[in-house]
Amino acid sequence: MSETLYAILHMTLFPGGLFALTLGLFYKALDRRVEARLQRRVGPPLIQPWLDIAKLCTKETLIPRTACKSVFLAAPVVGFAGMAVCAAFIPVPGVFGGLYNMGDLLVLFYLLPIPAIAMMLGGSASSSPFGAVGFSREMLLMLAYEMPLLMILLAVAMLIGSQSGGTAEFSLLKIIDWQLAEGSLGFHPAMIPALVAYLMFLPGTMGVVPFDIPEAETEIIEGPLLEYGGPLLALYQMGSALKTFVVLGLGVALFFPGLISDYWPVNLLWFLAKCVGLMLVSLTLVKSATGRFRIDQAFRFYVTVPTALALCSLLLVWAL
Amino acid sequence: MSLDTLLKKLSVRSPWLFRINAGSCNGCDVELATTACIPRYDVERFGCRYCGSPRHADIVLITGPLTTRVRDRVLTVWNEIPEPKVTVAVGICPISGGVFREGYSIEGPISRHIPVDVNVPGCPPRPQAILEGVVLAKQIWLKKLGLEV
Ligand code: SF4
Repeated sequence: MSETLYAILHMTLFPGGLFALTLGLFYKALDRRVEARLQRRVGPPLIQPWLDIAKLCTKETLIPRTACKSVFLAAPVVGFAGMAVCAAFIPVPGVFGGLYNMGDLLVLFYLLPIPAIAMMLGGSASSSPFGAVGFSREMLLMLAYEMPLLMILLAVAMLIGSQSGGTAEFSLLKIIDWQLAEGSLGFHPAMIPALVAYLMFLPGTMGVVPFDIPEAETEIIEGPLLEYGGPLLALYQMGSALKTFVVLGLGVALFFPGLISDYWPVNLLWFLAKCVGLMLVSLTLVKSATGRFRIDQAFRFYVTVPTALALCSLLLVWAL
Repeated sequence: MSLDTLLKKLSVRSPWLFRINAGSCNGCDVELATTACIPRYDVERFGCRYCGSPRHADIVLITGPLTTRVRDRVLTVWNEIPEPKVTVAVGICPISGGVFREGYSIEGPISRHIPVDVNVPGCPPRPQAILEGVVLAKQIWLKKLGLEV
């Protein structure tokens, strides 16, 4: 009984739910603000994502007459729910170890594509031709970036598995424990290619420039999101904020879980700082310095560079 | 203050802008797309964002004199925008036809077809004027939501 209660608390308050949402929206705001500063603009205030969501809740929801209504309405909810579950699995090193101590890495791998799939569903259910174009682009991009992700996770799991006497270790709790004892994987020579590959994976999965091809607002006017408005769009935005929290938190857990003190508030701030650092390097800087790829270029990029890097790590782990 | 009023008060701080080109010479569009975004002016500091889809828009910026060819499309797109929306006519073209006035293919002024809330004259208007137009549009939006400024 109390275990169910704990699980529900983890899902709604910490680290999933409210905590993840607050942090995710904070990352989004900081991202916009830093991008503006890099272009020497002032940028929006830090509460801007909250204001956007408040605004969207006051707008009317329009549903296209030709849309498949049930799927159109369900897709944002599914995307948000998928990420809300995901967020509960994210460990905050030194504060919260993880929900279960077996296989949560695999669960995360399966849950991570849910927002992209929900967006594809919503786009195709909206019956708009732009939604259909967005659908095919999202699909291609997803196929391309899931492959390096799988290899990165495998490399981490195999390295720690072989070091601790097994085959592969898919528990985030054990992965973090091992790193706390033996040093962070981000500084491990065999894992540096995987880290770089993970940094390249982030902008693709978050759908930001240069990989915002499925939603390219200037070409296919936001693709799958075109017909969404009001509270449904707010759900998509919150889902995306949760996803930011999840992928950054996963990056910290896999590569930099190191601690600086035994005191939990300090650890929490340290976690925040590492996530922000990861975001600035892999999302904000890249975003403000590049233009948009074409879908074939993005696909070729993902199946060559990050895949090769991740494979490199995998082979190094296997050989060492 | 009830939750509803609070949400409405907060919501005007997040105006998303949508541009409609009703046959403009592109001068005004360049002003909207670039000048209003450069460091000195920056519309993003009001929480604005240019959005690609009419479904996401709050403030509509219309440029151009409304030519015969685009009239129906402009009206269709404008009708796609969910309420409450505020319409801003940018440039002298949508206001009176400007240099294209009395042309054979001009259906404007735009206020004959669409209720315009703010006029920003100029050919093209200065960026400061565009920003002022957006700020005025925010106040009108608040009024449309039933709240006084
Ligand atoms: S107002 Fe002037 S700059 Fe603007 S669209 Fe008309 S002619 Fe061009």
